[in-house]
Amino acid sequence: MKLLHNDYLHLAVRLLIGGLFLYAGLPKILDTMGFASSIYNYKLFPSPLIGLTAAFIPWVEVLAGLALVLGVKVRGASLLISLLFVVFIALAAISAIRGLDVDCGCFSGVERKANWLAIFEDLALLGCSFFIFYFDRLRVSPIALIKKRNNPDKKEALQ
Amino acid sequence: MVDIQKAAPKSSSKSPKNQTHIVFSWSQTIRDCLWIVALAILLGGALNYTLLLDAIDGKLIAGIQQKQLTDLRQKAEQLYPGISFIDLVSAKKLYDDKIATFLDARTAPEYQREHIAGAISLPIRALVLGDIELDKVLPSKEALLITYCDGGECDIGLELAKELSERGYNNIFVLGEGYPGWENAGYPMERSEPQP
Repeated sequence: MKLLHNDYLHLAVRLLIGGLFLYAGLPKILDTMGFASSIYNYKLFPSPLIGLTAAFIPWVEVLAGLALVLGVKVRGASLLISLLFVVFIALAAISAIRGLDVDCGCFSGVERKANWLAIFEDLALLGCSFFIFYFDRLRVSPIALIKKRNNPDKKEALQ
Repeated sequence: MVDIQKAAPKSSSKSPKNQTHIVFSWSQTIRDCLWIVALAILLGGALNYTLLLDAIDGKLIAGIQQKQLTDLRQKAEQLYPGISFIDLVSAKKLYDDKIATFLDARTAPEYQREHIAGAISLPIRALVLGDIELDKVLPSKEALLITYCDGGECDIGLELAKELSERGYNNIFVLGEGYPGWENAGYPMERSEPQP
């Protein structure tokens, strides 16, 4: 249990999930139609919902990922990311049950099918996201380091 | 900002005087979520307003299908330069004249659910695994063949055309719009009867 409270483990998981969402979201922002095309392939959503999802979800991914990397609004960002994972898992499960052979649209340029393997991977990442949410520790983050530099009296507290 | 508050002084001598710890607050967490979502809506809405307008007008699906078809053609040009595409109208003319044989590259259950009327099921996976005796299904190497699948979103119609081309069939076209395009045009389809 002591390991779960380790600052550097928390930092590593935060950077992993934050970096992953930046990596996933930025290409979708640059190719919104490509992402809309991936959503369309699920054959689940009407046109307006495809448009809304393609326009906003990549920005949520990038902003939440950036928040985790920088260590700001960590609980809010990790909660949003957890919710996104729940949606991804539900979509992949529906596609797997329906027997659809579709790309999940998770990462641009990386072929990753919406199948049971993707569901297990997303469940593991959801666990990481929940870990960040539950054991929120900000002692090691760029923001904390700036605070430490500006306020040397709190050096001990931020270490 | 994340809740970093000064902790109440503890009796333990190990506790630093100014120690910071994070106090959980649902209201603050929800506010942080809303802050991120609001910024995402602002940025996403500003940069994608034409896409959003198309989505509301119902033009987005047609745009996506067109993009998928263009991507498929580009992929074919890069990977399989010998394979040609055929448009819906030309394919229908060949269909009406009974000149072309239509080949469905999807799985057998998908074919049974619905397919272009008169098309032959030739699942690419089964063909590659050697489960289909091609000489019996398509005895003539000179036959005019048109392969298809689910439209621009899938590439197995293209892969089937490539596979057949490599096996000596030299008169093959790909119907990029697939069966959804054929169906939307009101051309003849065959569907399995729904189970009682």
